[in-house]
Formats: sequence, structure tokens, C-alpha cells
Amino acid sequence: MAGKLLVYVEVLEGTPAEHSLELLGKAKELATKAGLGVGAILVGHGVRRVAEEVVYRGAEEVHVVDDPRLATYSVLPYTDAAAEVIRNVGPEIVLFSATTTGRELAPRIAARLRTGITADCTDVDIGDWVDPATGRRYERVLYQLRPTFGGEIMAAIVTPWHRPQMATVRPGLFPVPPRDPSRTGRVVEWSAEIEESSLEAAEVIEVRRETRKVDLRSARIIVAGGRGCGAKGFELVRELAKALNAEVGASRAAVDAGLIPYDHQVGLTGQTVKPEVYIAVGISGAIQHVVGMKDSKVVIAVNRDPEAPIFRVADYGIVGDLFAVLPKLIERLGKRR
Amino acid sequence: MPMNVVVLVKPVVDPKAAVRFRPDGTIDRSAAKLVVNPYDKHAVEAAVQLKERFGGRVVSVSMAPPHAADAIREVLAMGVDEAVLLSDPRLAGSDTLATSYALSAVIRRLEQRLGGVDLVLCGIETSDSNTGHIGPEVGEWLGIPSVSYVDRILEVGDGRVSVKRLIEGGYAVVRVKLPAVLSIAGTSYQPRIPSLRDVLAARRKQVAVWSADDAGIDPSLVGIAGSPTRVVRMWRVEIKRKGVVISEADPDRAVDRLLEELRKDGVPLGV
Ligand SMILES: Cc1cc2nc3c(=O)[nH]c(=O)nc-3n(C[C@H](O)[C@H](O)[C@H](O)COP(=O)(O)OP(=O)(O)OC[C@H]3O[C@@H](n4cnc5c(N)ncnc54)[C@H](O)[C@@H]3O)c2cc1C
Ligand SMILES: Nc1ncnc2c1ncn2[C@@H]1O[C@H](COP(=O)(O)O)[C@@H](O)[C@H]1O
Repeated sequence: MAGKLLVYVEVLEGTPAEHSLELLGKAKELATKAGLGVGAILVGHGVRRVAEEVVYRGAEEVHVVDDPRLATYSVLPYTDAAAEVIRNVGPEIVLFSATTTGRELAPRIAARLRTGITADCTDVDIGDWVDPATGRRYERVLYQLRPTFGGEIMAAIVTPWHRPQMATVRPGLFPVPPRDPSRTGRVVEWSAEIEESSLEAAEVIEVRRETRKVDLRSARIIVAGGRGCGAKGFELVRELAKALNAEVGASRAAVDAGLIPYDHQVGLTGQTVKPEVYIAVGISGAIQHVVGMKDSKVVIAVNRDPEAPIFRVADYGIVGDLFAVLPKLIERLGKRR
Repeated sequence: MPMNVVVLVKPVVDPKAAVRFRPDGTIDRSAAKLVVNPYDKHAVEAAVQLKERFGGRVVSVSMAPPHAADAIREVLAMGVDEAVLLSDPRLAGSDTLATSYALSAVIRRLEQRLGGVDLVLCGIETSDSNTGHIGPEVGEWLGIPSVSYVDRILEVGDGRVSVKRLIEGGYAVVRVKLPAVLSIAGTSYQPRIPSLRDVLAARRKQVAVWSADDAGIDPSLVGIAGSPTRVVRMWRVEIKRKGVVISEADPDRAVDRLLEELRKDGVPLGV
């Protein structure tokens, strides 16, 4: 075996997070192509229990740091624990999901290991790379593809001579690998090497995390409302959704304002959706929202601000007051039934 | 309890201007006007609010070419007391590991000069690189805690700060020991618009230009040599959107036109 590719697997409510399993599936594909072994890192408390589950999803070995002091996520103790495992295992590549956890934790680990890291990749691949300056060939180089300049430009990035090569990868891009309980793998338990100062540095006082019950990913049409809708506007959003037999989506600002439950949130910290038609109403089009809906086939936007960035990612836009536009739309689309 | 706050401010190519390439495929930043990274203004706003509440000094730190000084005046007008611009040809080509090292070296010097730095604030990401790595990496170089995606600073006292951090499906409240690095999300701190008086007052404030040596930077850890990552290719993303924007004052006509366009293009809304 030429080396290892490890995936940091987040555990949410006692199960491996779906986005981590997706990444494991992708990692396995790359590892097979490059002749690498594929493994996982689990950090937390009570996480030993899910190691087998991670094996069933394709990991050949699972490195576990299970310690009561790691019961809630906090960046410093988790950095200590994960960095120590990575140092000992010496993988070629370590991948994280580009979640709020991954994007906080992974750069901290990378800096500790004095290696490079690429953020928020939309694809990864493995291949050879020849340094144009020296003509030297490097093998098993991770090609990290990611948008920059707010999505206007794509970049391919490599980390040729540092190990491990590290990246965070956007959730929601790859299929979850099938579960195969006949798979076997090695589980390696590590004791947590945590500095006392890391534990003292931060105290997590409260975590409020809703899990979602509504799956918007298979929706054909989504009508999404933003903060601009207010409670009254959201009624119109729901009505329009009903007229179109569509699901209701929302921006984070709408969710945070209590207009609709988190279940419906689209974006970086919500769901990634790809409907045939996405209708954004009273949504400004912040990048964190757009990453969750930009692969929709057709995007329609209603916003009274002609400068709203949502119009830059829309096929059709109406510049106007949603309270005037939506009733007309509902009337016209409802009528044909 | 007066607080000394360092706020990291990156001058970037105006995100409203189209990105230009050089013939060799690299990005041409030379001609473009530099502005303050929009996200960093939220961090500046948070820093200035802390100063207004607790007293102390706010110093901005930027790593950019010398002509970035003009852009930095904007944050001086917002209430930053002084600005440091780290500018040195040896820093060119630095990736996030190298940049965070260089910024942390400046912060260490400021620590000595100010008799301590209580907080380092930064934006959640830059408009040109969108990584959000600098905050956690600076924290690591300085050996202090970091919190990313901070929506709001809730409380300061007893050498600690409580913050609300955004996560999937909600938030977490974290109490961290000072000094710490916080990446401020653009959600709660709406940047103030400086008045004419503020703008004039900012002219008397100083943008100190530091070389790598002024900051005590080890040249082998910055620039291309100190950067583990290499950008091997960049290309423009084709946004395949039709971009039909209807600005009719009359909502009836606007909706009519929309439905007509949808029908023409066969968009499956059953219209
Ligand atoms: C770590 C992090 C994660 C995040 N995750 C997400 C995420 O998953 N999803 C997400 O959506 N955001 C997310 N955000 C927040 C994001 O940055 C924006 O704050 C949010 O998307 C804004 O929501 P909005 O467009 O509804 O509100 P606003 O930006 O307030 O926009 C409201 C819009 O409504 C328009 N409007 C107002 N009244 C009317 C009217 N009567 N008629 C027509 N138009 C009107 C306005 O012109 C404006 O464009 C995240 C932010 C951070 C920092
Ligand atoms: N060259 C720089 N000079 C000063 N601050 C920077 C620089 N690069 C990044 N930052 C800070 O780090 C944050 C995150 O940047 P990034 O990791 O590049 O997305 C930004 O919002 C800035 O506050």
C-alpha cells in the first residue's frame, strides 16, 4: 500500500454524519484509483460505537479517539486529538467536510502540522503533477478544485511536497455509499493527547442544533422565501408553493427570524438542492445561500432591489414588490388548475 | 476594562469589477482598484463597538501591496485608531499558511508595543479567496483559541469572551479565554457609514507601512517558498443563466411577461 487517505468523520446524534459518509464514498473512489488505503478518523465521546458503521460504508481502518473530555466539539481539544492521530498515522491525504466544524477545525490542524489546506472544494481528484519550474514529477497529488472570487473563477490547487495534503469538501455533492455489513476493517483506538490548556481555553455553554425532517433534495419545484418576506410574505410563498405543487424553501435569515423552521433552509448551513425550478422571493442572494441552490435548473427571482445579487444567478427576475407580484402569480398559476 | 483589539483587514480587488486574467493564466491584480474586503467591515464594526464600550485601542493589520494604503483609510474613518500595512515583495505568492504566519508576526510585535492584545478579529472570508482559514491559522501560530462564524459577541469579562457561533441548524454559545481570535460573520454587525467628519479625521491617522523585517518575519516561511499550496490553473466559470430581468412598474404586466418567457422557453411550471 502506497499510503493512506483519511476522512474526518463527524458524528451527529450518535451516527456518522451523512456528509461525512458521502465524502468517504468519494475518498474510496480516489484511493482505489491511486492505490491508497482508505480510512476514517472519529473524534468525540461515544464515537467508538459507530466505528463498525463507518467500516460498513467503506473504510478499511478507523482511527478512534473516544474520550469524555471530547463530549462536545471545541476546536482546540479536537485539534490536539486529531492532529496527534494524523501525525502518527502519516497519511498522504486528509479530507474534511466543509461544514462549520470542518472549516474551523481543518485549518487549525493544517497550521499545526505546517501543511497546506484548500477550502470548500467542489471536486477532488488524484494524479501526477509535474512542477513546471523543475520538471520534477510528483505522484499521488490531490487536485483540489474550488470556486474563488465569489464563484466567478474556478481554481485547481495542489500541495505537492507537504504531507498530508488537506482539504475541506463541500457537502451534498456525492452519493452516500451503500451500507455493506459484510465488510470488515481494522479499528484502532487512540488515547486522547489533549493539553490541559486546550480544555481550559473554551467552554461550550449551549448548543442549539435542530435536525431536519424535511428533505428538499428530491423536490421538483421549490418556492423559497427570505427575510424580505416577513410573516405576511411567507403566507404568499406558501400559497404559491401550493399552487405549483412545490416545496417551500427559505434563507437562513428567514429561519433565524423565526418565519419558518430550519427544515426548510437552503444554503451553506442548510440543504443543497437541485430542483427543476427554484423561485427565490425576497432573498438577497448572499453567497452562503447561493451555494445551496446554484445548481437548480431554472432560477426565478422576485426582489424589489434591482442590485440584489440573486439576479446575477437567476434566469428570470422580476424587480418589484413581492406583495404586488406574488398575488398575481398565484392568481395566474392557480387559475389554470 | 479597556481592550486592545487587532482587526485583520484585507484590501482586495473590488469584487464588483470583473476578474481579469494575464495571458499566462494568472489573475491580473495590478490595474484593479483595491477596496476593503466587504466581510472585514463587519469585523471592524465589532471592534469599534468594543472600543466604544470598554475603551482601548483598535489597530488594523493588512498584508497587501503598498498602494493598498488608500483602501485602508476607509476603516480608519470607521473608527480604527491606527493601521499597519505589511508590505514586502518577499510576501508575494503567500498562501493561507504563510499569510497567517506573517500576520501573526505583526500581531506579536503589536502585543509588545501596546502592552498586550486582548482580541484579534477577522472577517469570515475574503471575497477573492473565500477560505476563512486565516482566523484559525492565526490562532494556531499565536497559540491562542479561535472561534469561526461568530454571529455576535455576547459578553466580555473575567478575561473571557462569550460568543454566539453559527452552526448547521442553529448556534452554539462558546466562552473562550482571552486573548482569542474571532471570525465575525456578516450577520449582526452592520458596518457604519463614516460621516464626512470621520473621513477628514481619518486623514490625520497613520497607515504605518512595515517591511517583513519590521515584523521580525522569517523569510523562509513566507512567499512562494513558505507556501505549501500551488494554484496550478484558474478559469472563468460560465454562468449559464439567461438573465432576463423584468422591471415593469405594473405587477400585472410583469407577471404576464414572466409567464410568457417561461412558456416560450418551456419551463416546466405548467404554464
Ligand atoms: C456561517 C454562515 C452560514 C450561513 N448559512 C446560510 C445558509 O445556509 N443559508 C442562507 O440562506 N444563508 C446563510 N447565511 C446567511 C447569509 O449570509 C445571509 O445573511 C442570508 O442568506 C440573507 O438572507 P435573506 O436574503 O433572506 O435576507 P436579506 O439579505 O436581508 O435580504 C432580504 C431581501 O429581500 C428583499 N426584499 C425586502 N422586502 C421586499 C419586498 N417587499 N419585495 C421584494 N423584495 C423584498 C430585499 O431587497 C433583500 O434583497 C450564513 C451566514 C454565515 C455567516
Ligand atoms: N492579506 C491579509 N491581510 C489582512 N487580513 C487578512 C488577509 N488575508 C485574510 N485576512 C483576514 O482573514 C479573514 C479570512 O480570510 P481568508 O481566510 O483569506 O478567506 C479575512 O476576512 C481577513 O479578516
